[in-house]
Amino acid sequence: MDDIVTTGIAGLDAMLRGGLLRQTATLVEGAPGTGKTTLGMQFIYHGITQCNEPGLILTFEQFPQQYYRDAAAFGWDFRRLEEEGKLEIIMSSPEVSRADLERTGGHIEQRARTMGARRILVDSISHFERLSEDPVHLRQMIFAFINGLKREGLTAVLTRESPALLGEAEAFDEGLAFLVDTYIQLRYVEMDSAIHKALLVLKMRGSDHDKDIRQYSITSSGLEVRSRFEGREGILSGSPRRMAESFVQAFVRR
Amino acid sequence: MEHDLVGRLMTDMDPDMLAFLLTKVNSFVKWDLIRFFHDNPHTTDTAENIARYAGRNVEVTRSELTQLAAAGVLSESRLGDMVVYSLSTNPEIRDMIRRFVEASDDRQFRVKAIYHIIRGMR
Repeated sequence: MDDIVTTGIAGLDAMLRGGLLRQTATLVEGAPGTGKTTLGMQFIYHGITQCNEPGLILTFEQFPQQYYRDAAAFGWDFRRLEEEGKLEIIMSSPEVSRADLERTGGHIEQRARTMGARRILVDSISHFERLSEDPVHLRQMIFAFINGLKREGLTAVLTRESPALLGEAEAFDEGLAFLVDTYIQLRYVEMDSAIHKALLVLKMRGSDHDKDIRQYSITSSGLEVRSRFEGREGILSGSPRRMAESFVQAFVRR
Repeated sequence: MEHDLVGRLMTDMDPDMLAFLLTKVNSFVKWDLIRFFHDNPHTTDTAENIARYAGRNVEVTRSELTQLAAAGVLSESRLGDMVVYSLSTNPEIRDMIRRFVEASDDRQFRVKAIYHIIRGMR
């Protein structure tokens, strides 16, 4: 099982048939507030505290203090983990991080060696988009960056903002999906006059992963993935409809 | 006479801290940058990006970063075709930065520090 990297989110690990594959890159995409960073922090915290796998958080946006505060809300003491040398939160820019991975003795390489870092959260990959307007060039840059992380033996979770809050998300980015090994979408869903959250594993290379669209919530101890949406269709539209009773019955009977 | 009294009151601080303030900090932009690197000790980045994070003008930030590097507070290096800055690994400098930032939480210290920076700018 050493090739499997558990995320610490039991329901997600079950969907992934145990967890992520070691030294792979996972894209977690969702609208603001869906819990992308929380999922990533949980992956890092679980790695450090349960799997003895030190971790890095590479942030292109938020200051480390923000992570300390956000993590503390779940009872995760990131400041202490940094003091113990098990975690490092690096605030940098995509261009510097990419260049850093392409040289010998770069900062990320050093941390992977001296700390023994095995996991990394990159929050968020969306910031690469300001480096080039050419989608082909952009993909090349992200591909080189992801390869650099894998070269350092890191299992990576990369977040990406989706501008759509509800309704149809922007077109599935096949180019980016091709670059990563696992693609997870977090979505808001309007149902019975309330907003729910849905999680879907769109892709996992080399695995027969769970294709269900599952409900999840952000609890005081992190993300909690629950049951699938029953008796609804069109969930990814953001406004699911109740399925015809007969269809539900036929579906259940099968 | 009154001026001397103010001067004496304002220099009533740890001599090492006063020297750090007069020789290393000596501008409000540097103060912001030192606090930024204290809060982000693992940051390595360009002047353009650091200016963006700090909400300061790029050219002013570049000049101040260069001076902080010359003073040993920061390290300046080349990364490909970029010039990047990171916090000095010197433990004495890091300790001085930590003491300075912690002292800055005290209003009386801030008043003294502002006094010296403004005097130095004249």
